[in-house]
Amino acid sequence: MKVLAAGVVPLLLVLHWKHGAGSPLPITPVNATCATRHPCHSNLMNQIKNQLTQLNSSAKALFILYYTAQGEPFPNNLDKLCSPNVTDFPPFHANGTERARLVELYRIIAYLGASLGNITRDQKVLNPSAHSLHSKLNATADVMRGLLSNVLCRLCSKYHVAHVDVAYGPDTSGKDVFQKKKLGCQLLGKYKQVIAVVAQAF
Amino acid sequence: MALFAVFQTTFLLALLPLRTYESEVLSEPLLLTPESLKVSVNSTRQRLHLQWTVHSLAYHQELKMVFQIQISRFKTSNVIWVENYRTTVKRNRVLHWSWESKLPLECAAHFIRMRSMVDDARIPKPGFWSNWSSWEEADAQNSLGHDPLLVFPKDKLVEEGSNVTICYVSRIHRDNISCYLEGVQIYGEQLDRSVSAFELKNVSFIRKRGTNVFCKVDQGGALGGIVLFVSKVLEEPKDFSCETQDLKTLTCTWDPGSDTGLSKQPSQSYTLFESFSGKKTLCKHRNWCNWQVAQDSQETYNFTLVAENYLRKRSVSILFNLTQRVHPMTPYNLFPKNVGATNATMTWKVHSIGNNSTLLCQLELLAEGKVIQQHNVSIKVNGEYLLSELEPDTEYVARVRCAYTNHFWKWSELISQKFNTAEAAPSEAPDVWRNMKMVSGHPTVSLFWKPLSKVHANGKILFYNVIVENLDKPSRLEVLSIPAPTRSTELTLDQCSYQIHVTAHNSVGPSPASVIVISGDPGNEEVESGRVNGTEDGFSVSWKPQSGDATGYVVEWCDGPQDLPCALQWKNLGPNTTSTVISSGAFRPGVRYNFRIYEISAKRMAHLLEKKAGYLEELAPSDNPQVVMSNLTSHSFTLSWKDYSTESQPGFIQGYHVYLKPKAGEQCPPAFEKTVLPEDSLCCKHTIDNPEQKTFVVENLQPESVYEFFVTAYTSVGEGPLDAFTKITTLDEYSHILIRIILPMIFCVLIVMIICYLKHQWLKEKCYPDIPDPYKSSVLSLIKSKENPHLTIMNINDCVPDAIEVINKPEGSKIQFLGTRKSLTETEFTKPAYIYLLPTEKNYSGPGPCICFENFTYNQAASDFASCGHFPVTPQAPPHQLGPLTSPENLLKALEQNYMNSLGEIPAGEANLNYVSQLASSTSGDKDSLPTNPPEPALCSEYKMQMVIPLGLASAPPSENSSLSSTTLLGQGEHYR
Repeated sequence: MKVLAAGVVPLLLVLHWKHGAGSPLPITPVNATCATRHPCHSNLMNQIKNQLTQLNSSAKALFILYYTAQGEPFPNNLDKLCSPNVTDFPPFHANGTERARLVELYRIIAYLGASLGNITRDQKVLNPSAHSLHSKLNATADVMRGLLSNVLCRLCSKYHVAHVDVAYGPDTSGKDVFQKKKLGCQLLGKYKQVIAVVAQAF
Repeated sequence: MALFAVFQTTFLLALLPLRTYESEVLSEPLLLTPESLKVSVNSTRQRLHLQWTVHSLAYHQELKMVFQIQISRFKTSNVIWVENYRTTVKRNRVLHWSWESKLPLECAAHFIRMRSMVDDARIPKPGFWSNWSSWEEADAQNSLGHDPLLVFPKDKLVEEGSNVTICYVSRIHRDNISCYLEGVQIYGEQLDRSVSAFELKNVSFIRKRGTNVFCKVDQGGALGGIVLFVSKVLEEPKDFSCETQDLKTLTCTWDPGSDTGLSKQPSQSYTLFESFSGKKTLCKHRNWCNWQVAQDSQETYNFTLVAENYLRKRSVSILFNLTQRVHPMTPYNLFPKNVGATNATMTWKVHSIGNNSTLLCQLELLAEGKVIQQHNVSIKVNGEYLLSELEPDTEYVARVRCAYTNHFWKWSELISQKFNTAEAAPSEAPDVWRNMKMVSGHPTVSLFWKPLSKVHANGKILFYNVIVENLDKPSRLEVLSIPAPTRSTELTLDQCSYQIHVTAHNSVGPSPASVIVISGDPGNEEVESGRVNGTEDGFSVSWKPQSGDATGYVVEWCDGPQDLPCALQWKNLGPNTTSTVISSGAFRPGVRYNFRIYEISAKRMAHLLEKKAGYLEELAPSDNPQVVMSNLTSHSFTLSWKDYSTESQPGFIQGYHVYLKPKAGEQCPPAFEKTVLPEDSLCCKHTIDNPEQKTFVVENLQPESVYEFFVTAYTSVGEGPLDAFTKITTLDEYSHILIRIILPMIFCVLIVMIICYLKHQWLKEKCYPDIPDPYKSSVLSLIKSKENPHLTIMNINDCVPDAIEVINKPEGSKIQFLGTRKSLTETEFTKPAYIYLLPTEKNYSGPGPCICFENFTYNQAASDFASCGHFPVTPQAPPHQLGPLTSPENLLKALEQNYMNSLGEIPAGEANLNYVSQLASSTSGDKDSLPTNPPEPALCSEYKMQMVIPLGLASAPPSENSSLSSTTLLGQGEHYR
């Protein structure tokens, strides 16, 4: 039963991933053959580059929108509250092989996607009237979902990578409101920083 | 025996504890120490929970005890709370007590201990406190994590108006930590080396998403914060009531008041509880809830509405009988039926309530928004009512509402329906008036009528019929049909009397006729005009009745100013009326309104009684008269402004002011008085108090003085605007005399000039003929008187001018007009050739002695061209006199000088002739033909043509190659003549 809970449920969660997915999940079972449900796009790398560019271009605005919506002291204490010191953030090496970079990108986007889900969920409660922020968070999450799918397709079709271990950020549901705001701000600051490097690398 | 011993022992053993108890309870103080004290922390609620037991109690024993609890903060010696807790204690029963800390428990360690004392009436001796339990520590700081600066309480939810204590725990032990609420620094109290607390009193609601409270180490240190949620105070539901529309469902409604929802707390919930049935339901809406009526015929209900949020619970109850809370549903299908001109039947339906229930329905009829009829009808399902006494062609609104008959609780909602009654024939004759005037010798009547009011029209007026009946001679009736909304027509009549009937028609029929009689003889309707005063309410017009048989009066006026087309207005008045107030929204201040009062005779003829004119409010004249000045003399002038109309002014003109500004220092003329103008200048003013006097003679003025005048009209309100003054200068005192002399003189001179012009030939012959008459020459008389009294004048018959001397000048000869004397003498002289042209006498046989006549009165420059070769030029003539003759002055001088020279140098004896002609100076281009020798007596007489040549021409030098001859000069002379 535990095996079922640890394997099948997370798998289902990933396949129908929404905000706030749980613990690290395998993309495919370890022994499963690498196969995609639909043929990959012929110009997949360009798609990935465009999506990264899109994310990079909107990351700063999202960051500003976020910390503005949190009220004081966030806008005037970014260094203390929104510094991108996220300890468990997946690493990225821009000088690696394409395969390695794609794998790292996959981990980053999976991490960011889950964190964005948490942030979106929290902000809908904490700032119910910040509609533009909600809209931008949702749009970013949508692009990330597409990017994750494309990276997976690329890894699978070209490099036959069927399994990538991913990690997710801490669940903020038990944190106090101020801490939720702070963690969200740090995550978005980190995202803004990382996505610029990643977009440049591709 | 053994059994007895055992029994005895057992009995003794049983007594032993009893005795022990008695000794403990009755004789010695009973000390029961609390045991197993445990302390737990609820950080969210900031409460310390204590639980303990009292083991020392006997089995089934119950005692009332008091527990004294001490709470210390930071250290055991810092006791912050002492409380005695009384309760009944049983053996092994776990006791609970909790305490809420104002300070968040995370900010400080708390220590708790207690002791107890029996407080039971069954224990007669005064109690003694037991020993204190050991201190128990409640420390919530262990799980705080490693953040350098922590602020508490996290996500605190409080009600508006309450007090909150916020604290921070600093692990960096710095003093420069400041805390802020909504950007404003807050100040607190340092409790410990690393803990400070801030008490926020009477906190207010800021926003639903909470307020950030944060503390930070100054100059770039750590920052910690919390979000404080301040909820509005939950209000008790207001206006809670329940009712049913169908006795099946109860609907309870209330006013929920403020929403207390926050990010941290959902909006308050409402629960409906019925005590008799014991049922309850959670309401889905904030302000209403449905309750299904039980089928067991429960009649009485006791509802309690409970409002609840995280912080508070509020409730309100009502008790009622179901049948007394029936609020029927809105009636439906309300329609008019059989709508006539004055009645209509309304029908409607209602929803049935239970079985055989009766509803009381209220039918209201509204016209123009006001209820004019109200009827109550009891019905079960279908309602019907006949509405009567309605007005034709009127829009009505019928509305119905119903209530439960058994017990009135509330009217249902209203249902409304509009309907229009049918038309009926107009009920009143139109109000007609006329205006008579003569057009091309025929009396022309303009008929006016007012549209019927809605009450009397009874429908849409389609047309008006005008029937003209000749009263003096029988004739056919003339019928005119005039479509609405025309409100006037014009009739051309003859000198007969006519009766005119006017009727208004709608789709149903005609109105009663309005009759007016027009007399063929308008008669003399000139009456005197009076004045009428205007007030805020209008014009109060009154009149004197003339005859006793008047059937009424009509006051007629025009709504607009006189210069605009007249919008004829009239007002009909009864026979006993002698005054009325004419009011109109069109009346304006400063406009003259003329009123005519007519008396209507029994024959329905109108006779003009009076005329009135008035202003609603008189104003000062808006413009001044155009003044014409005349009859200016040295002492007076006349001003007139006869074109100034007093009728078209914004007030009754009462007169005029004539302003006169005399020259500085001069007194005002008589009849003028000094006044000061608005611009503070002194002026003379004369007032004319007769508005019809439009001329004024300003007298007693100084001659040759400048005056300024200005004329303005005035009304009762004031005078016209101050315009520019007109300047005028009085005449010189003698100028008129001079004019009387100079003008005739100028006239005479003109006459003489005209005569001279017309008779110039005659004058010329008489005064300065071309050929002077020697006999008339004064020269001769001069000569005679001075020198030679024997000189005579040659008779013209003695000289036969039968030859013309032609001077033949050879080409190439140079004519030096302005040369030196030497050049003159050196010029080669060509002898003239003489040609015989006109023998005038038969006995003339040949050339005779020739005499040359010269006229000195002529310009030498011209005459030089034709000068005689025998001209006696004196060699003594200074050469310089020859040159500057080009100028007219020099020429005249030369003329004079030569003339005198000639007179002096020609000796009488040397000449063959006694006649001395006028001699011109020989300075012309003809000089080259002059002989250098002194003149010798000529053999023939030569006539030199007399020419009038302008001086300018005379000075013009001839060209070098011009040949000079008599014929040539003659031609030139003709040319210039």
